[in-house]
Amino acid sequence: MSVPVYILKRIIQALPLLFIISVLSFVMLKLAPIDPLASLKANPAMSTAAIKAEEQRLGLDKPNEVQYFLWVRNLVTFNLGISTSGSDVTELLMERAGNTLLLSVLTFFFTWLVAIPAGVYAAVNRGKFGDKFFGILTSIGMSMPTFLLALLLLMGALATHWLPIGGLQSPDFYDLDWLSQIGDEAQHLVIPVTVLTFVGLAGIQRQMRGNLLDVLRAEYVRTARAKGLPENKVIYKHALRNAVNPLITLLGFEFSALLSGAALTETVLAYPGLGRLTLDAVLTKDINLVMASLMLGAVLLIVGNLLADVLLKFVDPRITLE
Amino acid sequence: MNKISTLFAALLIVASLASCSDDVSGIKQQAPPTANAEEGLMSTIYKSPQPPPAKLIIAAADSVDRIKPPQPGEEVAEFWQGRGEVGRYGGNLTVAIFGQGPKTFNYWASNDVESAGLCELMFDHLIDLDPWTGQYCGRLARTISISPDKKELTITLRKGLVWSDKRPITADDVIFTLNTIVKHGYGNSSYRDVMSLEGQFPEIVKVDDLTVKIMTKKPFAPILNALRICIAPKHIFEEVTKNPVSEFTKFWNINCDPKTIVCSGPFMLGRYVPGQRVELVRNPNYSFVDKAGQRLPYLEKFTETIVPDQNTEILKFYGNEIDFLDIRSVRGIDAAKMKSREESGKFKIYNLGPDDGTMFLMFNMCRRKKDGKYIVDPIKQKWFNSLEFRQACAHAMDRKRMISNVLRGVGLPLYTAESPSAIYIDKTLQWYPEDLKLAQELLSKGGFVKKGDDLYDADGHRVEFTLYTNAGNLTREGVSVMIIEELKKLGMKVNFQPIDFNIMIDKTENCTDWDSVVMGLTGDKIEPYSGANIWKSDGRLHMFDQRMPDKKGTVNVTDARPWEKEIDECFNGGATTFDTAQRHQYFDRYQAIAYQQQPFIFLYSMLNLTAMRNKVGNYMPTAWGIYNTPKGSLHNVEEIYIKGRK
Repeated sequence: MSVPVYILKRIIQALPLLFIISVLSFVMLKLAPIDPLASLKANPAMSTAAIKAEEQRLGLDKPNEVQYFLWVRNLVTFNLGISTSGSDVTELLMERAGNTLLLSVLTFFFTWLVAIPAGVYAAVNRGKFGDKFFGILTSIGMSMPTFLLALLLLMGALATHWLPIGGLQSPDFYDLDWLSQIGDEAQHLVIPVTVLTFVGLAGIQRQMRGNLLDVLRAEYVRTARAKGLPENKVIYKHALRNAVNPLITLLGFEFSALLSGAALTETVLAYPGLGRLTLDAVLTKDINLVMASLMLGAVLLIVGNLLADVLLKFVDPRITLE
Repeated sequence: MNKISTLFAALLIVASLASCSDDVSGIKQQAPPTANAEEGLMSTIYKSPQPPPAKLIIAAADSVDRIKPPQPGEEVAEFWQGRGEVGRYGGNLTVAIFGQGPKTFNYWASNDVESAGLCELMFDHLIDLDPWTGQYCGRLARTISISPDKKELTITLRKGLVWSDKRPITADDVIFTLNTIVKHGYGNSSYRDVMSLEGQFPEIVKVDDLTVKIMTKKPFAPILNALRICIAPKHIFEEVTKNPVSEFTKFWNINCDPKTIVCSGPFMLGRYVPGQRVELVRNPNYSFVDKAGQRLPYLEKFTETIVPDQNTEILKFYGNEIDFLDIRSVRGIDAAKMKSREESGKFKIYNLGPDDGTMFLMFNMCRRKKDGKYIVDPIKQKWFNSLEFRQACAHAMDRKRMISNVLRGVGLPLYTAESPSAIYIDKTLQWYPEDLKLAQELLSKGGFVKKGDDLYDADGHRVEFTLYTNAGNLTREGVSVMIIEELKKLGMKVNFQPIDFNIMIDKTENCTDWDSVVMGLTGDKIEPYSGANIWKSDGRLHMFDQRMPDKKGTVNVTDARPWEKEIDECFNGGATTFDTAQRHQYFDRYQAIAYQQQPFIFLYSMLNLTAMRNKVGNYMPTAWGIYNTPKGSLHNVEEIYIKGRK
């Protein structure tokens, strides 16, 4: 099967999956005993008529099937509806997507930049100091909750005044020249990127180390060494190429987390991203916004998996697309 | 600093209640204990010294930065003169708000505090309250007068008022705002409902370019409060109101171009950065001047940073990234630590006294059936509808301990339906003593029997029920745990279940499937009639016995208790008279009934704490000069300035 046909087939397969995901999400949201207008209703200054009008505006007065149908109909015309706050969901998502993407891409870059060499190094120098050092570091990274690390770094920033406390820009951002603007955002990004990198590092570094260790025990590596190939060539040309496959699958998952993987960190660090938006939307049952975020996550997961499979094909010619 | 310290409110209560000990069917009144030393931290309420009343300055209409005396025959403009000291221009005040930030820049469509408070910085009210006396006074208006039969209100605007696009503000704008936007329910129709008496909107007519007349069928006192509304620019909104009502909420939404917003307040919208901050800039055409005749506001910029929660907000304050923590930003658990940082952080904490909110415990007193089944289990129904049961619970509450342990002293015990800071509080109802013995006597009077440590009702059922509160609110959770402990002493078994706020409201408002709840509601210090939604038997927030509307949306009350009917009458009576003494009588009566019947067992009111950096001048907070945040306690925001920088 050629690659384009394979992609097309996968896309067609994904459609019913998306449909099922959307129905499940919608049903679960509707079943949740959350009143989307709670804060209005708890306000004695709001009259009954005002709340009725709000229900009508949001379409909450219609039966659930009708609401779902309306949602699907809007989706087909690329209209994601309005959020409970009255703004357009697409605009809300677009406003935040850039910020989250910036954070995720930087994190992704730093994580892989550190994790892969660190994994290789640890595998090659197994049992030595470096391996143990990374072992401890990744153990901490795996066991420490992100929000705790974020809070600790915030406290550090507060005590030292070296870094700003949360957010993405200083209040006077627009009075700065472009160079200082980049510097300002970079300063604000240090803590969130550090937190996410540190936590993400653990999994990938360990995976890399484990895979490479497996491969290094293989017969063909021994053969290569026996042939008298230099150690560098043995490791980087023969062993590494074979060890990298599971990581490509991981890469696919990482892709799906690009827009949704940092909700907690974003919330703790006051980062204006999608995760925070979605989290708040779930808590207030902002159905259109939650549905849009969930569908976006689902699409990215499907695309990420597809990408990983196709990439595997290119990296490893032994794999055939079926 | 001209700081005048006053004694803790409880001390005043001692004086006023020294001889009060009458017994109202099982409720003992006694003098409360005096404030004790550990609570000293928050014991002094800050009072900004009261300046002389605002002066009206008449100047040439073409005055720019500094007012010019009018030449004969020239057009004049009327300015309000600021009441603080003369400050200096420039600078930026950065405040923070926690949550999602504003939802709209359209004041008339806003239905959340954050949006309304932000809009109050951009649009001026028609009439307003004097922050020191609590009396109604003009803002955009120069004068308000009431006809002798109290059915006609005449409001005269100041001369020479202009929008930020220099178009004049006239009676047409007022008429348009009230008769079109408000009357036809564009945006938030609550504005219409608070102005209506028995469903009838007042008749509003233009007298001349600067004067409007508002006529009601009967005298209707709460209309003054309702007229504390911001006026919309007719020349902008006229087009919008030609579209269907649903289009109105989209106008001036958060994605609009800031330049299209035309303001009458001290600031204009500069920029909105989603999820991060709102930047307001100075409105050079604002109609206030300082004592030197210079146009206000002083601040060049007002920045509102959006943060996800209170913790981040306070961290940012410590980190010098924001200048001001407004009311509801400083919690009890932060106050002591913050106090110790005052000097090093170069700021000061202000205690503005109790806020307008009330925190309470309530039981579901509903006796009705839904789909043939009782909404509340008939066994529990009996308990919750027993006056002795509710009074016993009220006597079991150790409010003082709640305040010192959970609120860390940042609160005042509450026994009445109105907050201690309200103008209409009934001062004779001050104390509901913590008395477990009395509580037990009341329970036996109500037929309850205590066997060993457990309480049983007259029919032999163990008293056991569920208590909800909203999860995540540490204060409420802490208070709930204390309540459970107290009720355990009476032999009740209370199962605690913290649930999400939106779920809790769903329970109390929609499916009425709950036993007891600890929650709070905001109140109104100025106009007790604002509580009608809660107290009237057909009210939308009559939570202790919520009656659901029928298919047509009307609530038919068939099972009101005699005292519920009497409260209804108090509210109707209090609304239809302007006479302060009479109004006090009506509203005192409703508070007395609430006090005796205990449908809500009131627990405490929080104290309003703010923290302002010392570099900010003219910060003169008062108990009554409080708006929606971010305007909050900055009632004189136009006069706020940043003191000399090095």
